[in-house]
This record gives sequence, C-alpha cells and structure tokens, in this order.
Amino acid sequence: MDVNNTLQGFNTMAATFAKDVDQAFWINFWISVILGLSVIIPMFYFAWKYREKNVKDEDIENVTHNTALEIAWTLIPTAMLMVLFYYGYTSMQVLRTMPAESESIVVHVEGKKWSWKHTYEANKNGFVHKSKELYVPKDTNIILKMTAPLNDVIHAYFVPAFRMKEDVVPGRVTKQWFHSEKLGTYDVECAEYCGTRHSDMYTKINVIPKAEYEAWFEGNSKVGPGEKEVEKSKGQELYDDNGCAGCHSIDTDATLVGPSLKGIGAKHDATYLKDAIVTPDKDVPEGFTAGVMPPFALPDADVDALVDYMTTGK
Amino acid sequence: MSKSYFDETHTAIGHPKSTFMQWMLTVDHKRIGLMYAAVMFTFFFVAVATAFLMRLELFAPGAQFIDGDTFNQAFTLHGVIMIFLFIVPGVPAVLGNIVMPLMIGAKDVSFPRLNWFTFWLYILGCIVALASLFTDAGFADTGWTFYAPYSLTTSTNVIFTLVAAFILGMASILTGLNFLVTIHRLRAPGMTFFKMPLFVWGIYATAWIQLLATPVVGITLILAILEKYFGIGIFDPAKGGDPVLFEHLFWIYSHPAVYLMILPAFGIMSEIIPTFSRREIFGYRTIALSSASIAGIGYLVWGHHLYTSGMADTAKVIFSFLTFFVAIPTGIKFYDWVATMYKGKIILSTPMLWALGTIITFTIGGLTGVTIAMIGVDIHLQDTYYTVAHFHYAMLGGVVFLFFAGLHYWFPLVSGKMYNETHAKIAFYLQFVGFNLLWFPMFIAGYYGMPRRYFDYLPEFQIYHQVSFFGAVIFITGLIYMFVVFFKGWRNGKPSGTNPWNATTLEWHMPSSPPPLENHSKVPYVDFNPYEYHHGEPVVKFDYETMKRID
Ligand code: HEC
Ligand code: HEM
Ligand SMILES: [Cu+2]
Ligand SMILES: [Cu+2]
Repeated sequence: MDVNNTLQGFNTMAATFAKDVDQAFWINFWISVILGLSVIIPMFYFAWKYREKNVKDEDIENVTHNTALEIAWTLIPTAMLMVLFYYGYTSMQVLRTMPAESESIVVHVEGKKWSWKHTYEANKNGFVHKSKELYVPKDTNIILKMTAPLNDVIHAYFVPAFRMKEDVVPGRVTKQWFHSEKLGTYDVECAEYCGTRHSDMYTKINVIPKAEYEAWFEGNSKVGPGEKEVEKSKGQELYDDNGCAGCHSIDTDATLVGPSLKGIGAKHDATYLKDAIVTPDKDVPEGFTAGVMPPFALPDADVDALVDYMTTGK
Repeated sequence: MSKSYFDETHTAIGHPKSTFMQWMLTVDHKRIGLMYAAVMFTFFFVAVATAFLMRLELFAPGAQFIDGDTFNQAFTLHGVIMIFLFIVPGVPAVLGNIVMPLMIGAKDVSFPRLNWFTFWLYILGCIVALASLFTDAGFADTGWTFYAPYSLTTSTNVIFTLVAAFILGMASILTGLNFLVTIHRLRAPGMTFFKMPLFVWGIYATAWIQLLATPVVGITLILAILEKYFGIGIFDPAKGGDPVLFEHLFWIYSHPAVYLMILPAFGIMSEIIPTFSRREIFGYRTIALSSASIAGIGYLVWGHHLYTSGMADTAKVIFSFLTFFVAIPTGIKFYDWVATMYKGKIILSTPMLWALGTIITFTIGGLTGVTIAMIGVDIHLQDTYYTVAHFHYAMLGGVVFLFFAGLHYWFPLVSGKMYNETHAKIAFYLQFVGFNLLWFPMFIAGYYGMPRRYFDYLPEFQIYHQVSFFGAVIFITGLIYMFVVFFKGWRNGKPSGTNPWNATTLEWHMPSSPPPLENHSKVPYVDFNPYEYHHGEPVVKFDYETMKRID
C-alpha cells in the first residue's frame, strides 16, 4: 500500500495520557515482579534446601497450616491487586473521559476493508476535508468519531504511540480522543482482525504546528498540508475515496485482493465495468471469489467517472 | 500373570473377537482415556505443525512462502484445533477418564456407555471440523473466535467449523455430566468431599463449568449459523443486529472455558507436589475451595475481553474488578504448593520438574493476565502480541505443561512400564528453554504495538519474531524428543510396579500393574486423607486382595 512500512513512534509517548498508561503498566510490572518472585524464590530455595540428599526421612515435617502466613499471603497480594485495579481504572479514566466538543476538533473516521478515511467538519468556506492520513494541530483536543459501513466488518483504530485503541464497529459510532504535545508522525494500525489485508491497514497521524494546521484547514486544498496538490479527475477522486486502491492496483500488474485494473479498458467494455462496480458478483473473473468486493451503490454519474478513470486513466 | 485392562474389556455392544473392534467398542474408562490421548495428540501435532508454518512465515516481514489468506486460515486452524479439539477436552478426557475413577475407588464412570458415545461424538466433531480443509471454499479464516460480522461475510467454509464446535461442545457437556454423577455417586464409602484427592476436585469444578457454560456457546454458534444462512438479523448490523452481542455471548462461554482448561491441570499439580515432597499437602481445603470459587467467579468476568469493543465504561470497571478476584484464589494455590515443599524431601523426578517449571511459566502467564485485566493498560495491549504471549504462557506454559507433568506421572500406572528418566529430563529442559525463547520476546513486541493476527509486520519487529522462531525450533525438538521417550518406554521400559513414586492416593493401590479391567479388587473404605505421609512413607497400606488396611 501507499503507507510505507516504517515504524514510527511506537516507543514514544506522544499523547498526554500515554504517560498515565505507561505509569500503570510499570507499576504493574514491578508489583508483578515482586509477586512472582515471592513464589519463585521460595520454590528454588526449598528445592535446594530440602533436596533429596540433604533430608533424612525422620526430618520431614507435615506442616499443613499456618494461619498468620496464610492471612498474609491472601491479604498482601489482594492489597497489591487492588492497587493495580485502581491504576487500571484511573488510566482508563484519562483515556475515556472525552473533552467537550466545543473545545476540540472532531474528525470522523471510517474504517473499511482495508483503508481508513478521515472526514473533517466543514471549514469557513463550507469545504469538507477528506484525507487518508490524519492531520491534527499540536496541543489540541481531538475527538475521533469512528464507524464502519454497514456491510463491512469490525476494525480497530490503534495508535501505539498514543497508547489508545477502540473498535470501529459497523452500525455504531465509537469514540476516542487524544491530545498530543509532540510534533511528529505516528502509525495507526488496524488491531481487530478484518480479513485478507488486515495487516496492511495502516495509516498515519501527523501532528503539525497549529498555524500550519489552521492555514491548511481554512484552505480548500484536496491534499494534506505541505503536499503539492496534483490535479485529480473526478474518477480518480472517487477511486481514492471509495478505497478501491485497497484491493486493486491500477499502475502495476500486482494482484492485491482483486485483479489488477491496469489495462482493464482493453479487456472489457463500459457496461461490464459498470456492472463490476454496482453488482460485482455478477461476473467473477477466474481465480477470484464472489462476495469479496462489496457492491457500491453510487450515482450513475459517479460510476461513469470511475469507468472513465479505469479505462483512460483520467 | 493376572489380566490387565489391555487383555480384556467390556464393550458397548456384543462380544467382538478382534482386538481392533474391542478397542472401538470399549466402555472401559482407561481404554477410552487412552484413545482420547491418541487422537488428541495427533491433532496437537497437526496444530503445532501449523504453528511452525506461521513462525516460518513470520521470520521476515512481507510474504515468504504463503499468502495472507493462507496465513489467516493457518491461525484459525491452529486455534480451532488447539482449543476445541485439544485443550477443551484436554486433561479431563484423558487423565480425568483414566485416573479419576481409580482415585475415588470406582470400577468405572457412572455411565460407561455414555462415555463411549461421547468419545465417538468427539471423533465426529473432529472429522467435521477438519472436513472443510478438503472443500473448495477452504478452511475458515475467521480466527477461533468467529467474530461477527466477519464470520457472516467470509467466503471460506465456516459452517463446518461452527457445526463441529457445536458437536464438540455437546461432547464436552456429556463428559461433564458423566463425571459429576460419578463423583457424586461412586466415591468409595467413607470418602467425603474433603477426603477426595485434589485432582478429583479439579475435575469436579471443571465438570460444572462444562455443564453450565458450554450450552451458551452452543446457542451462540447456532445463532451464528442461522444468521449466516438464513439471515435472521441478530448479529448483522446491516439488518439492525448487533455484532458486539456476538462477542459477549462468545466470551460468556469462552472465559469460563479457560478455567475449564486450567482447573484440572492445577489438580495435577496438587497431586505431584506432595508426592515428590514426600509429605502432606499444605492447605488442602484452601486449594479445594479455591478451585470451586474460581469456577464460580469465572462466569462473571467475560467482559475483560471487550474493553475496546465500545462497551460502557461502568461495565468495564465492574468486569475489571471481578477479574482481580479470580487472580486471588489462583495466587493462594501457588503459595500453598510452594509451602508444601517446606520441610519436605524434594525428589526431582521428571513429573516434579515439569510441575516446578510450570510454577515459573504459569506465574508469568498469570501475572501478565493481571496486566491486561487493568483497563487502561489493556486498551493499549488488547489484540497485540502481549495478549497472545499471555495466553500461550497460560495455556501452553500452564495447562499443557501440567498435562505433560501428568503424563509423566501416570505413565507407569497406565502402561505398567517406566520411561528413561534421563532422556525425559533432557526433553523437559529443551522444551522449557525453547518455550521461553518462543514466547517471551512476544511480550516486548506486543508492548511496542505489534498487533496479533498479522501476516506482515513492520521491520522493527523482526528481531523478536526471529528469536521466537529459534525458540520454536528448540521447543518442537524437545516435544518430539519427549514423545520418543514415551514410545520407547512403552515398548521397552522396565516394569514399574504398582506404586513407583511412593504415592498415597488410591490409583496407586492396584492389585496388578497395569490395572485390571475392573480396577481395585474390592471397594476400599476411605477413612484417611489423600496425602498422608509419615517420615516420607505413605501411611495407609492395603492388602491388595481384600483392600483392607494393613498399616
Ligand atoms: C474488498 C476489496 C475490494 C474493493 C474495496 C473493491 N474491489 Fe473491485 N474487486 C474485488 C474482487 C475480489 C474482485 C474479483 C471478484 C468479483 O468480480 O467480484 C473485484 C473485481 C472488480 C472488477 C472486475 C475486474 C475483472 O477483471 O473482471 C472491477 C472493474 C472492479 N473490481 C472495480 C472496483 C472499483 C472501481 C472499486 C472501488 C469503487 C473496487 N473494485 C473496490 C475486490 C474489491
Ligand atoms: C508449538 C507451540 C506453539 C506455537 C509455535 C504457537 C504459535 C502461534 C502463533 C504464531 C499464533 C498466531 C498469532 C497471531 O498471528 O496472532 C498462535 C495463535 C494461537 N495459539 Fe498457538 N502456538 C503454539 C502452541 C499453542 C497451544 C498449545 C495452544 C493452546 C492449547 C495454542 C493456542 C493458540 C490460540 C488459541 C491462538 C489464537 C488463534 C487465533 O488468533 O484465532 N497455541 N499460536
Ligand atoms: Cu483489521
Ligand atoms: Cu477471559
């Protein structure tokens, strides 16, 4: 896919609450070490101290109870576990307590097989930004409202550098939020199994300076901030928006999930191609199975534009 | 020489002459246990081979030699076999069948014919499960969890797997029922519940889970089938259904199911530790009751699998809180076992090595489970390799390791022979080292954000996957080694005698080795505790003809 595979920022803590989650993790880690050693050290010690050669049969003692000890090894671990429960709870609180929408930027996320799409609220000019990668200003609350199309499956929007994740469920809107104080680019992975290209469903979050974000957001550029706008035909835009590229390559012969569409115009006429988009199960090319490509209920004009793009590249 | 259960048997129908038919129709609990073992370990090796295939594929990022779809089918096959065909029937079907009736002084289970039927139902389930490998659509690619709506829309053959899981669930319910009745009705006179060996307690607690929780997954699977093929609209969001409902229903069974796997395994630990410490167990009642309470609380914690599913935050808090309360009785058991070694005489035979090794691996498995019971932390770690490493530490490093411990422990009982201890120990060390190398790096990869069920991954994770691969090679070598040791022992091992480990429980008081068809000569009267030692010698001695105490 066009997201190049480089690990970005997994081991950084790029959202404000990441430190709370990490703190809870490390408290857990050290308590676990203590609890674990409280079992393992005596085990090794007894295995050595009472080893076969060392013990005469007469010296074996059937100790079966010791109330004080038993109370201790019930209550102390219980107390430690309650500490862990508490930190699990507080770290959830910071993750899940949404800021007010009036003080945040709301972005709508759509996850579908196998691509992500971010849609912003309209800007002053009424223009709606749509992008594959997410661009957000530094030091700002961002709320993600996430969903998947009804005929799709569950995904999960996982940002390791932010320590956050939430499922993206067809027919529901789930939410998560973050606030990043660190400029940078961070990977987003799909963490809920969704089929063939589950492990290619990446995107990125770009945390950029506020001014840069404002300038971009209030403009009508169809690409991300700092990117050169290339003139795109309507067909190509639809092709990108609908996630066709997640399953078809068009510049190369590579078979992704569906067949490559390179040179498809030479093989099929427009009617066939229209059908292939609106009712994909009607004709299934050899070596592929029906039911994989979802039917796209698009207006006729859009379908025509897509067919033009596939046949002429424009 | 007296006749053993290998020489004669009772059958479900007729009096077949051929040895083969005698095995096929046998109702003897010991033979049925052995047949389960043969089938289950065959599938286990298929699943291990599949896992090795995945490990090879994951050796480097990108596609090596299989494609994404095949990989997805591979982890589904691996998971389905390991869970439904191997570890859920697991310890109860093999060791529960063979040992439990002997431990309570019974001649067989309460319903031997039902036991026979259950075995064949299990076989039917296995056949249906794997049949889809040979259909055009191919094996399911849903993961062993069958989450909707993915399982409703995939073009692979899920129906076979769903039906198979249903049949296997049925077999599991019947086993549970049979064991419950057996434990209630067939204990030797005098053996009250608190005189039962702790393995029997483990089987007992498990049987309740099998009986009460399995129907939930049965219903869920039927709903999934109705949804997929008749479109009833319960789980399908396009029809107004709710896919998250499926997750809830699935985990209402599958969480208790993890205790159904581990409780009998804990029972094995409770047999081995006192025997090889040559003393009475520490905190008998606490261990017994903690099994029961784990089985009880275990029903109420399923929501900890759904912290990121969009569930209400209040529900998360409640589920998290309850989850911590399962950790407590589990922890107490570990202290009791270690305390049992205090002032004992520790004999490091192979079963004991496996038991002590498991104390290390399961402690890691259990404590990393606590990490992901913490809501905020789990939101980061859920569906990453941290979770996968956790459950392999718990299931492989816990249940399977203890299963192996039990196989070594009761091998002489079942076969009447002894394996070569030196080689058996080498096999243990290979597997112990291999296992940790195989799964420990995955905690780190998971912490950094390596998601599970990934066919391809970012290059930064390669090092962890490579270490893991070498761990797998060592582990699997040890595994094969261990089975070779078993086979050799079975064929050429020295006769073991009836009680090679100087153990106390009733299964070691047989008139002959291997045991005769109907077990003890007479039903013993049990007026003693299960692990009574004095100066390292079993207190209770029997005349094996009359089963009267002679101590
Ligand atoms: C989920 C993956 C997926 C997505 C998304 C997808 N397709 Fe497909 N597509 C397939 C598969 C698989 C086939 C082959 C099976 C079939 O025809 O149904 C296919 C077939 C086709 C064909 C017919 C090719 C031939 O050689 O007969 C065309 C044309 C096509 N897709 C165009 C599109 C367009 C345009 C889009 C975006 C609007 C799109 N596809 C989105 C998976 C996908
Ligand atoms: C030889 C030892 C084993 C190896 C090398 C191994 C390896 C693996 C691997 C590589 C995965 C895929 C992880 C992913 O892609 O997310 C996996 C998944 C799994 N394994 Fe194992 N495993 C082994 C033993 C076991 C055992 C003994 C059990 C249970 C008894 C088990 C149960 C599972 C389950 C339930 C899954 C999840 C499948 C799914 O995601 O649907 N494994 N294992
Ligand atoms: Cu996915
Ligand atoms: Cu659980």
